[in-house]
Amino acid sequence: MVVTIAQQPFSMAKVSASSWNFAVRLWLATILALLVSFWLQLEAPSTAAVTVAILAEPTRGQALEKAAFRLVATIVGVTASIAITGLFSQARDLILAASALWLGLCVFAAKLLDGYRAYAAVLSGYTAANIAVQQIDNPQHVFEASVERGAAIAVGIMSIAVVNVFMSAPDRHPRLAAQLAAIHRRVRDYASATPRGNRGNSATFLALVQEIVGLRPQIESIALESSSGSVRSAAARSAAVGLVAELQAARILTTAPAHFDIAARDQTSAAVDRLDGSSLQWRMPARSVDLQNHVPDATTETSSWKIRELLRIDETVRQDLLALRSVRWPSRLQRAPLYRSCRIAADSAVRATLWFAIAATFFVWAGWSAASASLYLVAAIAALGLTTPNPRGYTAIALVGAPIAVVVAGILEFVVLDGADAFPVLAIALAPSTIGAALLTTSQNPLWSGLGRINLIAVPTILALSNPQTYNPQTFLFTSLFVVAATAVLLAAQMLIPPASDDKQRMRLLAEARDELQEPDTKDSDPNEAAFRDASRIAQFLSAGGVRDDHALSEMLSCFDRSATVRLCNAKLMQLAEGPFAQLAHQAHAAIAARDTASLRAIAIELREKASHKDSVEADVAACLVLTSDIIDGRSGAHSFQEAT
Amino acid sequence: MAHSFPELVIGGVLVAPFVTYLVAALVVIIVLRPILHFVGFAKMFSNARIAEVSLYVTILGSLMLLF
Repeated sequence: MVVTIAQQPFSMAKVSASSWNFAVRLWLATILALLVSFWLQLEAPSTAAVTVAILAEPTRGQALEKAAFRLVATIVGVTASIAITGLFSQARDLILAASALWLGLCVFAAKLLDGYRAYAAVLSGYTAANIAVQQIDNPQHVFEASVERGAAIAVGIMSIAVVNVFMSAPDRHPRLAAQLAAIHRRVRDYASATPRGNRGNSATFLALVQEIVGLRPQIESIALESSSGSVRSAAARSAAVGLVAELQAARILTTAPAHFDIAARDQTSAAVDRLDGSSLQWRMPARSVDLQNHVPDATTETSSWKIRELLRIDETVRQDLLALRSVRWPSRLQRAPLYRSCRIAADSAVRATLWFAIAATFFVWAGWSAASASLYLVAAIAALGLTTPNPRGYTAIALVGAPIAVVVAGILEFVVLDGADAFPVLAIALAPSTIGAALLTTSQNPLWSGLGRINLIAVPTILALSNPQTYNPQTFLFTSLFVVAATAVLLAAQMLIPPASDDKQRMRLLAEARDELQEPDTKDSDPNEAAFRDASRIAQFLSAGGVRDDHALSEMLSCFDRSATVRLCNAKLMQLAEGPFAQLAHQAHAAIAARDTASLRAIAIELREKASHKDSVEADVAACLVLTSDIIDGRSGAHSFQEAT
Repeated sequence: MAHSFPELVIGGVLVAPFVTYLVAALVVIIVLRPILHFVGFAKMFSNARIAEVSLYVTILGSLMLLF
C-alpha cells in the first residue's frame, strides 16, 4: 500500500536513511551478540549471530514478537528432540523417521497460523531436526546441546533488543494507524462510487480485502512495542474487523435489484456522498438519511436500511481509529480470526515429511558422516518455504544464494581475516557483508530481498565463528559443500514431489466455502468476526492465483456475500428472539436455513406491517430479510462481478 | 554479610542466578503493563522505550538487592 510522505526522505546512495539505520543496527547487534557469547564462552557463538540475522525485522515490535516466538519454539523443539532421542536412541533410522513426522506435524500447525506464529511452528519442527539429527551419534549430549543453543539464542535476542532500543528502531504503530486510516478512506471512496452504477470496482474490493487481511500479523506485533501496545493492538484489530464489515456493507449496496428506480438511486448516492466529506458532516445521525418522502416500498426501505447499516459500521470504524490514535481501549474487543483449511495444511505437511524423508534417504545412502548439518538445512528451508506462497521458488532462491554466501564467507575467512584473532578486526570485517546483506533485504524486489536474507543468515552459519577461530580450510570446504548440497537435494525432492498446486488449493478453498454455505457454522460468533474470517479465505484464494480464475473468483465472492448476509440476518433476528415476534423470528430462522425466499419475503411483509414505526428494530429486520432473500435468489454478488469483468 | 544467590539446577545444568533474576524481572514488567498503561507511563517520557528499559533495569536491580 502507498502512504505518501510529503517531504522527500533523506537518502544516501539511493538507499533511504531508515534502511541504513536498519543495516547498521543489525551489524551492531551482531557484534554485540558475538562479543557477549565470546565473553560468556558459549559453545556456539555463531548461533547468537544467526539469531540476530533471523530477527532482522525493520521495526522493534516485530523483532520482539519474532524473538518471543523464537524462544518459545526453541523450547518446544528442544523438548521434542529430547523425546525423539529418548525414544529411539538405539535406532538411527527411526530418529530420522520421527524427525520427519515431527516436521510434518509442525508444518501442519504452521499452515493453520500466520505471521510469526507460523514461523514459530516451523521453527519447532526444524529445531528437532537440528538437535536430534546432529546429535544422532551421541544422544547423551542432546540436553547440553539444547541448553547451549538456548543460551546463544537468548544472547542474540537481548543484543538485538538492546540495540533496537538505543538506536531508536522505529515503532510500527504510527505507520499502522496511517495505513488503516488510508484504507478507511479508500473503503469510503469505494462505498460512494458503488451506488452510482460504477460497477467496475471489484478489483478495488479485492485489493482492499487483501490489504486489510495482510495487516493482521502486524496488528499482533504492535502489542509488544510499549506498555500501551496491547491497547493499540486491540483498537487496530477492531478497526480492521470493522473495515471488512464496512467493505462488505458497501459491496451489498451493489446488490440493487433491477427495479431500483432512479430517484432512489440518486438519493442513495447523495447519502453516501456524505462519506466524502469531513468527519463533522459524516457524523450526521445515521437515521436522518432522507428517503422518507419516497414511496416506502420494500425496495426503498431495504436500500435505506443498507445505507444506515453502512453509516453505522463506518461510525464504529471511525471510533476504533480514534481509539487507536488516542491509545484508548476500543468500545468492543473483537477477534480477527483467520480462515484455517485443515486439508490444505495436511497436504503441505505430507509433502514436507516426504521431502525430508527423501533427503534423509539420500544422505544416509551417500554415507557422509557430517551430512547431518545438511539435513538440518533441508528441514529449515523446506519448512520456511512452506510459509511462503511459493515453496519451490524459495528453495531456488536459496540455491542461488548459497554459493554467493559461500564465496562471501570464504573471502571473509581466508582473505580478509586470514588468521586474525582480535575482536575489533572481526567486527570491522563483518561490516561490509552484514550491512550489504541487510540493505538488500530492504529491497522491494523479492529476489534481491530473498538473496539478502539468505546471505545474512548463511554467512555467519558458514563462518561458524568461535573463540579462537580455527581457520580450517577443510571444515570450511565441507560446510560449504553441505550447504549447497542441502539446497540442491531439496530442490530435487521438490521436483519429484511438487508443492501443492495453486489450482488445487483454489479448488479446495472454493469447495470449503461452498460446503460452509450449505451447512453454516452454528457457533454463536459475531457476524463481523466471521466476515473477517471469510475475507481471510478470499485473501488466501487470491494469493493462490485467484485473480486469473474469473469463474471461481465470482463464485467465491458470491459465497462471501451470501454467508455474510445470512449471518447478519441471523444476528438481527436474535434481537427479536425475546419479544412478541419470537415466533416470526423462529420461522425466519427456519426459512433461512431452508433457503425459502418466498416465506422470507412473506415474513418481512408481516413484520413491516406490525412494525411500530419506520426506524424500529422490526423494520430493520424486515429490510434485512428482503435483502437476504434477494441475495439467496442470486440477484447479486456473482452477477454484478461477472458484469464487471 | 555476603549476599547468597538462589541456585537453579535443571536436569544437572546449573543456571546462573542472574538468568533467574532476568526472567523474574520480565514477569514483573509483564504484570505491571496494564498499570503502566493506566497511569499513562508512555506519555510521561519523550522516549518511552528507554524509560521502559530503565524501569526494567531498576526492577532487576531491586530484585537482586532484595532477594
